[in-house]
Amino acid sequence: MTNKLFRRFSLILAVMMMALVLAACGETATPNATTAAATTVAATTAAATTVATTTAATTANATTAVATTAATTAATTAATTVVATTAATTAATTTAAVTTAAPTTTAATTTAVATTAAVATTATPIPQASSEGNLVIWVDDGRAKALQPLIDNFVKQNGIKVTLQTLAFGDIRDQLKLAGPAGKGPDIIVGANDWVGELVTNGVIDPLDLGAKAKSFDPVSTNGFSFNGKLYGVPYGTEAVAMIYNKDLVPNPPKTWDELKTVAKQLQDSGKVPQGYTMQQDSPYHTYALLTGFGGYIFAKNPDGTYNPKDFGLDSAGGKAYAEQIDSMVKAGLLKKDVTGSIMEDAFKKGQTAMIIDGPWFIKDLKASGVKYGVANIPTMTTTPRPFVGVQGFMLSSFGKNKLLAKTFLTDFIATDDTMKAIYTADPRFPAWIPTQAGIDADVAAFGASAKTGDPLPNVPQMSGVWDNWGKSVTLIFQQQVAPDKAVTDASTAIRAKLQ
Amino acid sequence: MLQQQLERNSSNSSGGNKGGGAQSRPSFSLRGLGLRLLGLAVIDAVASLFVITLFGDGLPIVAVAIILITIVVNWVFLSERLYPLRWLTPGVLLLILMVVYPLIYTIYSSFTNYGDSHRLTKDQVIAQLKTQTYQGANGATYSWTAYRSPDNKFKIILQNPTTNKSFIGDESGLKNYDAPATLPTTLDGGFQKLTPFQAASQEKQLAALNLKNDQVAIQLISSSQAQELLSKYSFDPATDKLTDLESKVVYTPVKGTFTSSDGKEIQPGFTSLVGGENYGRIFSDSNITAPFFGVFVWTIVFAAMSVLLTFAFGLSMALVLNDPQLPLKPLFRSLIFIPYTIPSFISALVWAGLFSIIGPVGIFSKTVFGDAFSWQADPNWAKVMLLFINTWLGYPYMMLICLGALQSIPTDMFEAAILDGATAIQKFFRLTLPLLLVSVAPLLIASFAFNFNNFGLINLVTKGGPPDPATTTPAGKTDILISYTFNLAFASGKGSDLGLASTISFFIFLIVAGITIFNFRFTKRLEEVF
Repeated sequence: MTNKLFRRFSLILAVMMMALVLAACGETATPNATTAAATTVAATTAAATTVATTTAATTANATTAVATTAATTAATTAATTVVATTAATTAATTTAAVTTAAPTTTAATTTAVATTAAVATTATPIPQASSEGNLVIWVDDGRAKALQPLIDNFVKQNGIKVTLQTLAFGDIRDQLKLAGPAGKGPDIIVGANDWVGELVTNGVIDPLDLGAKAKSFDPVSTNGFSFNGKLYGVPYGTEAVAMIYNKDLVPNPPKTWDELKTVAKQLQDSGKVPQGYTMQQDSPYHTYALLTGFGGYIFAKNPDGTYNPKDFGLDSAGGKAYAEQIDSMVKAGLLKKDVTGSIMEDAFKKGQTAMIIDGPWFIKDLKASGVKYGVANIPTMTTTPRPFVGVQGFMLSSFGKNKLLAKTFLTDFIATDDTMKAIYTADPRFPAWIPTQAGIDADVAAFGASAKTGDPLPNVPQMSGVWDNWGKSVTLIFQQQVAPDKAVTDASTAIRAKLQ
Repeated sequence: MLQQQLERNSSNSSGGNKGGGAQSRPSFSLRGLGLRLLGLAVIDAVASLFVITLFGDGLPIVAVAIILITIVVNWVFLSERLYPLRWLTPGVLLLILMVVYPLIYTIYSSFTNYGDSHRLTKDQVIAQLKTQTYQGANGATYSWTAYRSPDNKFKIILQNPTTNKSFIGDESGLKNYDAPATLPTTLDGGFQKLTPFQAASQEKQLAALNLKNDQVAIQLISSSQAQELLSKYSFDPATDKLTDLESKVVYTPVKGTFTSSDGKEIQPGFTSLVGGENYGRIFSDSNITAPFFGVFVWTIVFAAMSVLLTFAFGLSMALVLNDPQLPLKPLFRSLIFIPYTIPSFISALVWAGLFSIIGPVGIFSKTVFGDAFSWQADPNWAKVMLLFINTWLGYPYMMLICLGALQSIPTDMFEAAILDGATAIQKFFRLTLPLLLVSVAPLLIASFAFNFNNFGLINLVTKGGPPDPATTTPAGKTDILISYTFNLAFASGKGSDLGLASTISFFIFLIVAGITIFNFRFTKRLEEVF
């Protein structure tokens, strides 16, 4: 009997000792494992990630404060429901999809890319968290490559530790909401202005003050980052749609909307192209210029240029004129139903359409196609059209451990001529920093000219609901299922109910 | 010593086995024991690291659950008596952790307002609000410059540009300072002037300095400015009230948001229990109830038709392949199976492209049916398209299981049927199909449950479209319950509403569970008949 007890005891002892040894191995392996694991994870598939996440979560634990909670909280939330599983991962993508090419998501215009993004988001890495004396910046892969040399230079000059942590663009927002409150967030994130409302109402970003430097920024960019009268970001680039035309088919870009319709009709009648002007039916974002050109609006503006979310105007007189315009163009064969963003871009690349409204993210693809293209301002309707302007910039996490350093970094390093110029060179978007706007690439400048006349993308958190009903009304008009008047009135009623 | 013990142990048990005559238990080998101990050690190591992490992240309940599970696993694997449980325990415990726990958590979430603008806990919100400050009526703004001594002490010079007064401060407090036009680079005691970056990287030490003017704390608010700031909010846990010290307005928590008596709300809100509010919304909110019936019916039709079509198509392929006279059988079998080996999201996207107006199917159908025809805009054709694509994606699987099941049907029955003069059709409907269904029915149920929640296909091909003009809710004509829920919870309102999503998914769970129970009963009857 004693023998049996002793045997069992020694077995338990053996297990415990081995467990201790293994646990110790796990702990010591940490410093190198963390970053390696985090980066590899990004690349691996969803299935592999779960394993990697577990390993990283366990190894990371004690020594470096890696965002394990992000993982565990995410796990709990994700595991929560069938819906929530898809939700946690896809939430970002949906908004991105609704916002369609909301200039933030550079290439998210094509379905295929959007899907890959959806797949990529499933592989959520464990991002590095802010710790005292280590300024952590969350940034997407493309921009990380642009920023790295600048940061290296900064580190060399000032002896301050700065870490760039790469995440998928949409993940930056979603992870901040989870990791921030858990104390595992970064000091700074690089993101888009339409995130601001959502992040502020979730209490995860802090306002900042640019002081005298505020005057050096394009007003549309600082307005875009303002919420409830406070500034929440240091903008660096702006993006807006403009008219892209085929120089072989349209030597001189039309200046007015009527002119555009005449040119389009001539091209169609002569049989040169099946469709003179093409517009996609699934992106209200792309049609905003048309809405404002006919005097409509989404949110009315306060005297200081900020939006008033209480005054919604899709069914204003101008909004109805916009709906009727789309309807009459469909009826006249100047617009076609069932056209998606990728179909529109594809048709333009093949020379099957002569004019489209699209953003700078299409240019790289377009150059490769060999079509001779030009970029011009969107033709004037009853008034000058104002496209939506997406603004990219740096935001301050509420949960960073180096708040003063982060602020100093933004105001004294980022908001300077040299840095802004370098950011532009590495990531050519139209600069928000006015001194950098001179002497830039012609295409970028052309899109920039369109952005200068534009309105910032609204950053109210209810915007996802606005996109949804607005987009639905546009699709219904395209498909000729509902009278234009009724389509915008119905949509506005639903949207107003959400905005309350 | 331990080694000897283990050896003795092993000989003992094998001896015991012989004596007891327990045939089912394998003989007790030293290597087996070593592997088992190593395996357990790995599990324990991983579990203990998990537990430490979970405790650190404030999830003690999950941590305790993992401790209990680990203890049970160790016990089961170390005890000879519980041998039969060894192979069942890990699965059952994981089931509890990954299915039962999330289910309970979902039900709990459905009674809260967890979601965007209600993500933080109440303590976090209060802690965050307590750090907020405001500049009082007499609050001054200074520019600041920091100095550091070789033994890591700090001084700060504050200059008020409006009054032209300057102060110098350290741990002991503020003193007047007679500032020259340009500040010196060194101060007495070896203090060196710091650049803004050097200063900012020492923010903890600088914040520890005693910078107070008339009891009002001076805080460094940017790289160049410091301000006399007062705390904006105070919270009294006894009365559960939050007071805005600047405007003297009192806020009380209402459904997870601090709200004043005249309805002013403070962002951010926090997660709180809201009772049956989410359940009430499902039944009373016309935005949710209006399209529900249509969506529900289409979900059933979609799932049932998908199962029927994939099964019918897969079975006919299997019958053809089962014909002994068919040449090149392995070739055909692999070719027909290929659609299943391509990731379904790629196939779905490819088909969506083929059906689009620039795809061959889209162009062909326009030339045949006229320009008004549309696979995307016409709800009925959109449904046909979805079923077609889903059949394409699903039939190879059905074919494979039917092929297997066909092999298991005894051939003598067919011989008897032929002797009785049965036709081929009679043989199929009276013999093949019923016998096949006995073994295949559970898989058909599983396929039904899967398609009931086939979010991926709907989202990739139609995104629920075409939109339904009769409702303002984000419900399209091809939305199934799960995609409709997704839209409701994540795309329609003020960002993500996880509480509402949990409520609806709980209902979906009930529906699917109900259908499955019904189906199991049905299958049982099937088995009894044949």
